[in-house]
Amino acid sequence: MIGIRIHGRGGQGAVTASRLLADASYRDGKFSQAIPMYGTERRGAPLVAYVRIDDVRVRERELVHEPDVVIVLDPLLSKKQSVASGLKKGGLLILNSSLPPEKVEIAGDIKIATVDATKIALETLKLPITNTAILGAFSKSVGYPTMESIEKSIRNQFPGRVGEMNIAAIHQSYEEVTPAVQATHTEPVVEESDIAVGGYGVLKDVSSWRVFTPIIDLDKCTGCRACWLFCPETAIQWKDNRPEIEYHKCKGCGICVEECPVKCIAFERVVA
Amino acid sequence: MQIPLEELTITPGSACQGCGAALAARLAFKAIGPNAIRHRVPCCPDSTTAHPSASSVFESGGAMLTGTWRGLKAIGRTDVQVVGFFGDGGTYDIGLQSLSAAAERNENIWVITKDNEAYMNTGNQRSGATPIFARTSTTPVGSVTKGKQMRKKQIAKIFAAHGIPYLATASVGYPEDLIAKINYGKTVKGFKMLIIQSPCPVGWRYDGSKTIEMARLGVQTGIWPLYEIIDGEKLKLNYKPRELKPVTEYLKPQARFRHLTDDNISLIQEETAKEWETLLKSDELGRVLL
Repeated sequence: MIGIRIHGRGGQGAVTASRLLADASYRDGKFSQAIPMYGTERRGAPLVAYVRIDDVRVRERELVHEPDVVIVLDPLLSKKQSVASGLKKGGLLILNSSLPPEKVEIAGDIKIATVDATKIALETLKLPITNTAILGAFSKSVGYPTMESIEKSIRNQFPGRVGEMNIAAIHQSYEEVTPAVQATHTEPVVEESDIAVGGYGVLKDVSSWRVFTPIIDLDKCTGCRACWLFCPETAIQWKDNRPEIEYHKCKGCGICVEECPVKCIAFERVVA
Repeated sequence: MQIPLEELTITPGSACQGCGAALAARLAFKAIGPNAIRHRVPCCPDSTTAHPSASSVFESGGAMLTGTWRGLKAIGRTDVQVVGFFGDGGTYDIGLQSLSAAAERNENIWVITKDNEAYMNTGNQRSGATPIFARTSTTPVGSVTKGKQMRKKQIAKIFAAHGIPYLATASVGYPEDLIAKINYGKTVKGFKMLIIQSPCPVGWRYDGSKTIEMARLGVQTGIWPLYEIIDGEKLKLNYKPRELKPVTEYLKPQARFRHLTDDNISLIQEETAKEWETLLKSDELGRVLL
């Protein structure tokens, strides 16, 4: 039996990925479970989902505490040591990252494979929804479920044009995923922020929620305050008649980019 | 008008990216100021503020505000604003009875509703505030039904009929209007209500960066008219364009309305136009026409 944990952020489809994976495995004649983790699934907030795949009927009903494979859908979460917590010795970590696996700073007796799923998703789906894009990488790295079964599951879940776009994404990630290599780092990096940011109340740092980052060109700024006025998270502070973005508060919604009348705020994907 | 630079919200909060309600809370409490007590009932986690706060169940929103106000009165702190920042479930549906009772007693409290038009916190279930034909998780689009079949509840008219001293609608797309309304309301003694349309990118299914645009389109198409009603009878329209934009501009970008047929759209257009006519007439006469 293998246990799989999927890390993602709300809106990237971690729960859908778990269901597609379980569904595709079932189509291959295996027994499978998809377990969503219920909590506050805010758009952008980190969350987890679990899958179990076995050749015989799965009797367990609990969460997967010691997974064999961990899939990370988000490039910023891919840099956190805690995604590997509980991963079995010799387990596999599939990361959404533009870095080659040798450069990933996650320590442990584990194997790492990387694929730039956000790039693939932006190319095929035109949206940073990376759940299907990473399934191709899973199929290549683990050996199952077969691509035909994943295609069938996707067609079943997303009929029509959307399904075909997702199928293009899994094929591209099947081709582009790097072979799994042993993790080179031995000392875990100390983390500044917790990945389990969710729930109610005030959070410390939400920069891991962003896909795109707003960058203000102060030379073009006219000082109209529109960005400051409409920022839901007060991430834009008004200092000396100029806006200043506090990036640990910015969730990357893009309201400031839309509302700037002189379009002096760029919205860029900051990689690694 | 100068919008206060001071921020009363403690951020970053746990709202979704591009949350209209987080912005509504931020703007509303900017205007309310620090001298207030904020109560809440179950709702989406909008912006947390530094005010003293308590949470209760949906049904007791009005009762909780009443108790706080009466307590403050007993100790002579009548300068403190008592504010309930509720969602549409706490106002339109489950919380209606206690709020109605508080309005009838004309307690000196604020009720600010952030109307995101469904129970968004639990995953987009329909509420009394959901507009007709909108797709939600409990009014799905299938072969039999196509979204919600009932109209949106006219909550402003229900509370206006209570004869409350001040009632207004606002939108996060028009922050100056929103803040001016709260500033005026702060000078009024009695039950004050402000209903803010706060678009929800997850439930309405549009890109989070378009929140302000959605709010503006709601006002400019006449779907969400901005008006205020004083003492339940004097009505004033605050935004009167020469001509309303067609409702399709508001409906098309939202995937919750993607399944709408031309007949559906023309029905919404007709009803919006009719409502707008009534409001224009009310504005002219200076009294509420139902």
